[in-house]
Amino acid sequence: MSDLYIEKSKVNYNAMWILAKRELLSFWRNKSRVISSIAQGILFLFVFGAGFSQVEIFIGITRVDSRAFSASGIAAMVILFTGIFGGMSIFRDKMFGFMKELLVAPVSRRTLMLGRTVGVALQTMLQVSIIIALSVAFQFFGYDLSLIWRVMLILPVAFLASIGIVGIGLTISTRLNDMQSFGLIQTFIVMPMMWLSGALIPLPVQITIFNPFTYSVDLFRFVMLGVSYFPFWIDILVTASFGAILILIGARSFNKMEISQ
Amino acid sequence: MTENNNLIEVKNLTKIYEEGNVLAVDDISFNIKKGEIFALLGPNGAGKTTTISILATLLSSTKGEAFVNNYDVNKDSDKVRKSIGIVFQEPSLDGEMKGWENLELHAILYGMPKKERQVKIQEVLELVDLDDRANTFVKNYSGGMKRRLEIARGLIHKPTVLFLDEPTLGLDPQTRRKIWDKIKELNKGNSKITILITTHYMEEADELADRICIMDHGKIIAMDTSENLKRQLSGDVIDIQFENVEERFMISGIIRKIKEINGVKNVSFGTAEGEQEIMPNFQPPPGMPNIDPAMIQARMREILSEPNKLIMAWKRMPMAAGMFLNAPLTMKKKIANMFDDNLLEEVPGSIKEEIIRIKNGEFEEEEEELEPSISISCESGGKQLPLIIQKINENGLKIKTVNMHQPTLEDVFLHYVGTAIREESSNHSKDIRKMIQMRQLRK
Repeated sequence: MSDLYIEKSKVNYNAMWILAKRELLSFWRNKSRVISSIAQGILFLFVFGAGFSQVEIFIGITRVDSRAFSASGIAAMVILFTGIFGGMSIFRDKMFGFMKELLVAPVSRRTLMLGRTVGVALQTMLQVSIIIALSVAFQFFGYDLSLIWRVMLILPVAFLASIGIVGIGLTISTRLNDMQSFGLIQTFIVMPMMWLSGALIPLPVQITIFNPFTYSVDLFRFVMLGVSYFPFWIDILVTASFGAILILIGARSFNKMEISQ
Repeated sequence: MTENNNLIEVKNLTKIYEEGNVLAVDDISFNIKKGEIFALLGPNGAGKTTTISILATLLSSTKGEAFVNNYDVNKDSDKVRKSIGIVFQEPSLDGEMKGWENLELHAILYGMPKKERQVKIQEVLELVDLDDRANTFVKNYSGGMKRRLEIARGLIHKPTVLFLDEPTLGLDPQTRRKIWDKIKELNKGNSKITILITTHYMEEADELADRICIMDHGKIIAMDTSENLKRQLSGDVIDIQFENVEERFMISGIIRKIKEINGVKNVSFGTAEGEQEIMPNFQPPPGMPNIDPAMIQARMREILSEPNKLIMAWKRMPMAAGMFLNAPLTMKKKIANMFDDNLLEEVPGSIKEEIIRIKNGEFEEEEEELEPSISISCESGGKQLPLIIQKINENGLKIKTVNMHQPTLEDVFLHYVGTAIREESSNHSKDIRKMIQMRQLRK
């Protein structure tokens, strides 16, 4: 059956772009999503920022500003939430029947999947920039000239880091057939990845090393603070390969997806 | 591929769902000519949607070939996709986008350049009278508007053939009429578009289609124009309604006697008004939300028409027994009248007791009831009618109304679908299992 679906792998970029735009548009139009993402950002920033302001945090042997440590971790954490649940928008399309319209269109499934991935990744960048903007506004990072290029650099990093996470969301949602499993995903995937990455609290490397998301968080810290637990090239390598593997798995399950009417 | 004016050619198409080993489409062949409206008519689970899904390249076939616009659906799926417009059985719009945006996304997916796209979208919106609602979010559309927008969307990329899968399912009569008018309009004039429509509404097929293909259990049972199909069921249909409720248990005897008359082809118990009484408020059970009540009713009507089938159902399905015990009294009496003493021996315990109680008239004084009726199909109704009435009079039954009419498409449908099932009655339970599986697949 799947032979039929693995068509010419040609990517139709116009189609890809309109699908990505659709993701962004739906995020933007859903004002409750925008507001809640801002409110959640402020909440996290103040709870963790205040909580750790008295604590001395060391990365390696370097002492880092605890508020900046929290802010960069929270920015990375946003990728996890937005990426996985953004990837799961496929599930919504399946439920509301729109997926059939996409599947019967004369474009390759690769196009459909890339459009979705790029759309969610862009949306993630948007969310990350909201958090970064908030934390800059509330002086979580010390003001200096380098902050400008740090902030600019964080966006492509956010894009890269979100690819793998969107891949997880895509893989799950193409296989998922009921709404009830959302809680399971929250409990068994999102939460462990979040808490075991050291995004919110400083954790010993022995605990975080097995979590692929750790390296994305570490890359964020490297960019924003200039120091990291692992060398930055390891962070990039792990994040990129994690993204590549997950997007391939996602593509596979996307190709196999069947719509029974 | 032959060079002729067949727009769709289907040859020995078979589809077996590996999951559950269900035979959904069983070796069907048909051709659709250019400019034709072709209807696949059949109950839910007949294989109509599976057929259309194969033609739309959403499913691959197990065996056989299918060509759309001279392209093989298995090999040239992209070209097939560009040749067809499809309106699915269930809505497939993005409610979070505006009407115009839904259409624009479709146009881009089908690779239309910007200028052409603007013009064409405006054109199809005007065609379905939605141009004033183009900037409304689709989630705020009514059911009929959504349907019309989907039809518009199916037309944007100028397909040579339009697939409509149950286009008026769940719409009110007025809206349905409007959609029918639109469909007819599409099939007129120079830009006459070929349409393949699936439906389980007789009147829809009768109204729209040039040719009708009746499907059941994955097979084609009959295929012709509506007129010819009706002609095949030559003769007339006589519906007789009796006056005396108390004498209803005599009716099974009468049916047997009427069947002996020369020229009478079939007699069935209690159609006409009586049939509306079968589970009036039927709701699908929570686990099977996609079952169409109309289909269940049709199925039940058919089981209820023969005592042997009923006995079979009671023995095999506890649910059927429960249904009987909870049924309204009119219904129970109707059923009880079908069983004479011999047949009663085979009926399972609790139901047998209930039937005996009903026959003894234990519930007699309760509620007023509908008169029993029978439906007779015979060759030349005018000749047979006096004989039939005579037989009835001989048995002392009083007739309330007699209605003789030409067979409708509905009669044709029941005739074909009914006999087909009767032929297979030796493996009846297998049959039911297949139907249940098919229904589950549809979820």
